[in-house]
Amino acid sequence: MVGADNLASHRATPALATTYEGGDIALLERILPLVDLIEVSPDAIARMDGKRARLRPEVLEEYACVTSSVRFIAHGIGLSLGSFDHWDEGYLALLDELFARVHLDWHSEHLATTMVDGESVGTMFPVPRTEEALDLICERVRLIQERYPVPFLLEHVIHLLPDAPSEFTPAAFLNAITSRTGCGLILDAYNLQCDAINQGLDVGGFLDELDLSPVREMHLAGGVVHRGFQLDIHSRLTNDTTFELANEVLRRAPNLRAVTFELLKEAVPLLGHDAIAAELSRIRKAIS
Amino acid sequence: MTTLETYQRGLLDLVKSRGVPSTDPYLSRVASSPGIVVVREIAVWWRAFQIAAQCPLVSRALKHDGLFEATIEQYFSGHRTSPFVEELTEDFLGFLAQQADPFLRSVARFERALLSARAGSEAVQEIHFDRNPDLAFEALGRAGTIPPPQPGIRYLMIVDRNLPGMFRCTREVIADPEAQS
Repeated sequence: MVGADNLASHRATPALATTYEGGDIALLERILPLVDLIEVSPDAIARMDGKRARLRPEVLEEYACVTSSVRFIAHGIGLSLGSFDHWDEGYLALLDELFARVHLDWHSEHLATTMVDGESVGTMFPVPRTEEALDLICERVRLIQERYPVPFLLEHVIHLLPDAPSEFTPAAFLNAITSRTGCGLILDAYNLQCDAINQGLDVGGFLDELDLSPVREMHLAGGVVHRGFQLDIHSRLTNDTTFELANEVLRRAPNLRAVTFELLKEAVPLLGHDAIAAELSRIRKAIS
Repeated sequence: MTTLETYQRGLLDLVKSRGVPSTDPYLSRVASSPGIVVVREIAVWWRAFQIAAQCPLVSRALKHDGLFEATIEQYFSGHRTSPFVEELTEDFLGFLAQQADPFLRSVARFERALLSARAGSEAVQEIHFDRNPDLAFEALGRAGTIPPPQPGIRYLMIVDRNLPGMFRCTREVIADPEAQS
């Protein structure tokens, strides 16, 4: 097992987090003793109630039952921070509801676009690294920071399409956002690997250029290859090369607070509870 | 430099297969890239996954005819799809309920009514089938052959959340076969 046993431990130990979207009590009972934080995606635990989305009360009830043994962080999917016209107010309503019901240590969102002109794109578009987009993102981050009293983090997404004309390198764009707004970052080790495979990203150069002090959280995940593209579908366990990269981030990010193993709810039956528990124990051992 | 609006509208059009923007060099490059095929497939795959989980009857009926993937893709490209599964499936079943195939149309209407009843609707809905729905659903469940239409016979499915199991079916002999569906 390359990497997993070697993750650096010379600094404060990050907390361990994983995804849980409700409806699988056996899994919850299995992971609770293994993690410090549960990652909640408000969109993933919501359902339409008439014309607006609301969080499913049965999932909130599950969370309420375990607040004495675990803390929570939120990780959004559908805010559409990068939309040229407007972000999704419906997502903010979900986040308002979540903040009212669950204490969150911090919350985060993807640096991406999921709605264009009010229409769901069905996936995520990366935000082009331009001055125009930078101004838009920074203003929206400022509004979020005013609205919610806990730290806000942004996560970079993978690129399956050719790189758009840009005025910043990938790291410089993130540096510009964090320096202007003071927001934090999620560094996704698997996403970086996807970009290296799919787009030839120089991950070492990226990490050298990136200001790592705002990195508060790191994501670990595994995925599949389709048509030669490495996809960020969180359906597999973390592979050893991802662990190697995570080890480097752990060594270099001075303010890292948590490492999150991300897994699609739909992948749980595929992997099984035993494998998920073993993966969490493996990551815990590696980061301790 | 492509503006944010041009970039995003162009990508949306490409993902939705609404044509290739001819004037923007970047979008033209995306249109011919292998990545756009994968992005489109992922978007369709997610819709297919949600629909298959939420609407097993129409999904089986479409798969029976080898039309599942193509129908989801047609729906995704031609409609504004909701990120929320309840809205997505409601709209998708509404789309299928307008299709020419009478059996598929009936299955879609029945599944839509059933989902609505399960969600708490008190509305009583009637759906006609041109063949025995019990036998048809049983055949779909085992990937068998769907029984053919029965001329002169109509099956009336009543969906009502207050019924045991939320639905019941009765068989009617009809005088005018043209009125069957």
